[in-house]
Amino acid sequence: MAINVLEKRAMLGAVAFVAVSLALIAYATWGLGINVPTCIPLGSKPYDQASVLKHEGKNYEVHYITRMWAFEPSVLRVPTGSTLDLYAVTKDVTHGFEITGTNVNLMVVPGAIANSRIHFAKPGIYTIVCHEFCGKNHQNMNSRIEVSDAFADYSVEGLPASPGMKLLDAKGCLACHTVDGSASVGPTFKGAWGTTLQLEDGSIRTLDSALFLQKVHDPTAFVVKGYPPVMPVIQLTDDETEQIEAYLEGLRQ
Amino acid sequence: MELQKNLQRIILAELLVPLTLFIFGAYHGVLQVMYQSGVIRATSVAGIDYYQGLTAHGVINALVLTTFFAVALGYAVVSQELKSHVSIAGATLSLALMLLGAVMAAVMIFLGKASVLYTFYPPLMAHPLFYAGLVLFIVGSWVPMFTWIPVYLRWRKEHRGQKTPLGVVGIFATFIVWQMATLPVAFEVLVQLLPWSLGWTTGVNVMLSRTLFWFFGHPLVYFWLLPTYVLYYTMLPKLAGGKLFSDFAGRFTFMSLILLSCPLGLHHQFADPGISTTSKGIQGVLTMLVVIPSLLTAFTLAASLELAARQRGGKGLFGWWKKLPYFNPENWLFPYLFCGLVIFLFGGITGIVNASYSMNNVVHNTAWVPAHFHLTVGGPVFLGILGGSLFLITGLLKKPVVSGTMALIVPYMWTVGTFVFSSGFFLGGLRGEPRRTNLGLTYMNPASPSYRPDWWMATHMGLVGGCIMGLAVLLYFIVLIRSLTAAPDAARAQVPFLLPMSEPYHDEDIFAVRNFTPWVVAAVLLCVAAYYAPFRNIVKNGITTAPGFRPDSPAPIDTVHRKA
Repeated sequence: MAINVLEKRAMLGAVAFVAVSLALIAYATWGLGINVPTCIPLGSKPYDQASVLKHEGKNYEVHYITRMWAFEPSVLRVPTGSTLDLYAVTKDVTHGFEITGTNVNLMVVPGAIANSRIHFAKPGIYTIVCHEFCGKNHQNMNSRIEVSDAFADYSVEGLPASPGMKLLDAKGCLACHTVDGSASVGPTFKGAWGTTLQLEDGSIRTLDSALFLQKVHDPTAFVVKGYPPVMPVIQLTDDETEQIEAYLEGLRQ
Repeated sequence: MELQKNLQRIILAELLVPLTLFIFGAYHGVLQVMYQSGVIRATSVAGIDYYQGLTAHGVINALVLTTFFAVALGYAVVSQELKSHVSIAGATLSLALMLLGAVMAAVMIFLGKASVLYTFYPPLMAHPLFYAGLVLFIVGSWVPMFTWIPVYLRWRKEHRGQKTPLGVVGIFATFIVWQMATLPVAFEVLVQLLPWSLGWTTGVNVMLSRTLFWFFGHPLVYFWLLPTYVLYYTMLPKLAGGKLFSDFAGRFTFMSLILLSCPLGLHHQFADPGISTTSKGIQGVLTMLVVIPSLLTAFTLAASLELAARQRGGKGLFGWWKKLPYFNPENWLFPYLFCGLVIFLFGGITGIVNASYSMNNVVHNTAWVPAHFHLTVGGPVFLGILGGSLFLITGLLKKPVVSGTMALIVPYMWTVGTFVFSSGFFLGGLRGEPRRTNLGLTYMNPASPSYRPDWWMATHMGLVGGCIMGLAVLLYFIVLIRSLTAAPDAARAQVPFLLPMSEPYHDEDIFAVRNFTPWVVAAVLLCVAAYYAPFRNIVKNGITTAPGFRPDSPAPIDTVHRKA
């Protein structure tokens, strides 16, 4: 026996509705370029320090840390017209990462890196809200991004210094070395650990614990090509060395 | 034929125990809108913490109440429609396991040892007895279907060539979906969470557990809905005074929900890392296909109501709407089902928004989500449970409903309440208001630097709507208690209690919907196809495991020294 004709029409109507909906979604995804977050392989090593990297123009890469119950950085200021590549990892439980009033809406899950991109065409104060229950102070967990024509470049607040970072500061290292990739008297620490260095004497060495200690104890032993031989001797205990090395390792890409 | 006396008692327990727990679930629902709008600015009220009460609200209302009702209705329908006795031993075992499990989970929640919300996402860790309680509850809910299968097979043998009664098809669809959905979550709890909470393992793969949870979490919503669909397809047309427009539509809907319930849980994880956009996209498309049986259901039920209204003398293209029994105290059950249907129209439409892939970026985890599901599980499902429970309880106890007029006000009040509540929450969601957050302390506190005046309207509409919903529940319990304490109705005692079952108007016999097996096989294959890639990726790449955390401390739980 055949299906009732009115019912057939109702089903065809439903199929047409689904087809139109899917076509609109396809248009939004590929036509307007609005997609859901992509997959960054779970196996890739998450960073453990929040940081901002400046790329060409008004393009920034922001590495957020989420933890119970704060975002790092807690305030980020960028000039109007900036484009931000946002990354977020968690140090403890699952958190949410939603910039209210925008299309940025991420889950930050242990063991994985969340990622999105946003362009700030208009100045304003944008709130990042944790929208996943993360413990008793969940309602306190937010951060803000200030966008203004008045800012020439980015600035951040609420990046707690790690023990290693504090030591670099205390020992005076930061006077000549940066941790964000920018140029200074000496080579930057950003992404340096584990890479090969070309030295003034023409040899090539890998920046590991041995090379690091050699340089710290006897700065005249070798010099990285292109930089002046001005580094003083630094006194470090074993504990301090370990903390600084852990921090430098965290700065690798 | 009357239901077995022992089965009647079991069904009564399966209805009355969760309704009693629901008193707290409803109470805390009202408290939540007060916390969120800032009427209450505190971490706890009467010793119950906001997130603790929220956990109870979710676990009791969405798991315990719904599952018990599905089991109770299942027993009543299967036994009545197959005119057969069912295994009392099986029913008792099921009830005992479910009760024990529910009590264990509830006690842990009320002791504050399981404030992890009803999604219990690790690495937030609850007490092992909470997880053990959930397992017992789920295993208990598996028992009934396996005791119905031999009864059904015997019926088929004795009634060769006859169609299975539509209500029985609906009940089996409900429990087939439940069986498929609960296996992954049972795996999550037994293999991942329980050993981890006991300190036997040091960490869990969180992406794996989230994906297992949502493999369960979305079919769960169809499991909520299917018993209500049984009420709609079997009882609603008769209560309206007519016939079911099409028997085929019911069978097709039930079969296609078996097929489509499971392979689409990833649409809850559109915002998750660690899952490719391809996998998300495939399950997004599969989600959309559920629109087809849903619209067919809307059409069939509207057509059935129109048939009934025209039989009552309804005229014109739209004029027939006036002829339905909206306010008949003798027929108080009709508005429970009818109002649920009206609410569900909006629940369905907003569900399409959630499921629309990149559109999810706007509403994911915002107040939009509870706004939506209070129009589904909180609308048709909840009203079906309230109406169905009152109908079954008074019917089995041969008591009068005191009073029919009060009973029929409940669904209308509830409808007004949910519409106000959900409109507010939709508005808040679009403005980025996070769901399940104690907003009164910060975002709805003018003294806080986080204050969001743009969420004021949303949370206060939630407050008004939530209070109306609370009053409707209060009224319901007044009716229930008055009916329970009334003297048995002599007239009712004369006739056996039966659920009203509609006759079909169109009764085409379509071969494709005569058998469960091909639909179940196709459903399993579709699940494998949709979930193979994401699970493979997560298991292959997700080597990192997370230690546990309690909701009150950012320090990880020391699994080695915890016992000392």
